[in-house]
Amino acid sequence: MAQLLSTDLTNRGLVLDPRSKLTLMLSIVFFTMGGVGSDIKAVILISKLLGLIPIILLLTAKQWKKTLAYGGAYAVLMLLSLELLPVLDGGIKIILSICCIGVLRFMPGLIMGAYILSSTTVSEFIAAFHRMHIPNQITIPLSVMFRFFPTVTEEMEAINSAMEMRDIRFFGKNAGKLIEYRLIPLLVCSVNIGQELSAAALTRGLCAEKNVQIYAT
Amino acid sequence: MKEKLNGKDLINIGIFSAIYFVIVFITAMLGMVPILYPMLTVICPLVGGVVYMLFLTRVKKFGMIWIMSILMGILMLISGMSWYALAIGVFSGLIADLIFKSGNYGSSVKGVVSHAVFSLWIFGNYLLFYLNPDSYMKTREEMVGKEYVDKLNSLLPMWSWVILLAATLIFGLIGGMIGKAMLKKHLSKAGIA
Repeated sequence: MAQLLSTDLTNRGLVLDPRSKLTLMLSIVFFTMGGVGSDIKAVILISKLLGLIPIILLLTAKQWKKTLAYGGAYAVLMLLSLELLPVLDGGIKIILSICCIGVLRFMPGLIMGAYILSSTTVSEFIAAFHRMHIPNQITIPLSVMFRFFPTVTEEMEAINSAMEMRDIRFFGKNAGKLIEYRLIPLLVCSVNIGQELSAAALTRGLCAEKNVQIYAT
Repeated sequence: MKEKLNGKDLINIGIFSAIYFVIVFITAMLGMVPILYPMLTVICPLVGGVVYMLFLTRVKKFGMIWIMSILMGILMLISGMSWYALAIGVFSGLIADLIFKSGNYGSSVKGVVSHAVFSLWIFGNYLLFYLNPDSYMKTREEMVGKEYVDKLNSLLPMWSWVILLAATLIFGLIGGMIGKAMLKKHLSKAGIA
């Protein structure tokens, strides 16, 4: 999970402007996931094509395994939903349709989000938002957030496994402490990391008062 | 009196929004079970309370809570829940901020109340369901199947928005109080709160 979200700059292949990534993301969210205009035939076709875009982007980023897994699942379920779903009925149909919907509708958005996070540096992100004339008050928290998601999930996994060792989990001996014993350590270590992060960011002049020149690297 | 937000404040907003969002998002995954879907107005404020109360110890200027609320709305928009959360969040965040401001950024009672108001963005996610039920049901039916929709329909009659709204506010208060207690129990000693 954490690896999925952190930036890998060495081989990201095609470098897109964050703004185009954002546009793609929003169109996938609205048309593929939200089903806007699903009573027009052309829109349905386009929304299905939009689901393919994350596959292509993953391919350019040379993430072969993920491409294969996601592309394969997408192709198989697309076939199933077109060919098999109308013929079936009963319990199998419900299970299959939930699988199809999960993969065909939600996965493009999820993969696209993961791709954006893994292929955009914070400086690119800030430069793009600067260009869109979004005020600093939104840009800086948002970029800190995106930088911080991988950290939080990473810490959470570590805390999770530590607590499982102490039998603090669902159906474990100490299930009552489930939330408290995960939340508090997570807060403590995230706040500490956050303090270091903000010191580093301030040193690099993230919040300079004057107009700054931004070089996206 | 009126100070501008500096870089450190903005970074703090980002950090706490990230923690808050991750925790609430994972909790909200429970909503895939139909019975638990309306219960999210209860669970999410309860879990989010701790993070929010810790965030408040960092808030000393006007605007921080407001920005966090807007960010939650933007994230909901990007992750495809609905734009109502953003519409609600802009106002509820402002009100929550004003409430906490009226206590001079130190009153814990006002902090708890402001958490209740802040939690309204969670309720905002349900608005699509009430304001435009037909289109909501149609997309949901395609998305998660007819059984889920039928269950949801029987669970949530049209007037139930009052209950959800009240639940968000009440459990926002309770969540705030729990958060306050947690801060006292664990974090003040560690010198973080």
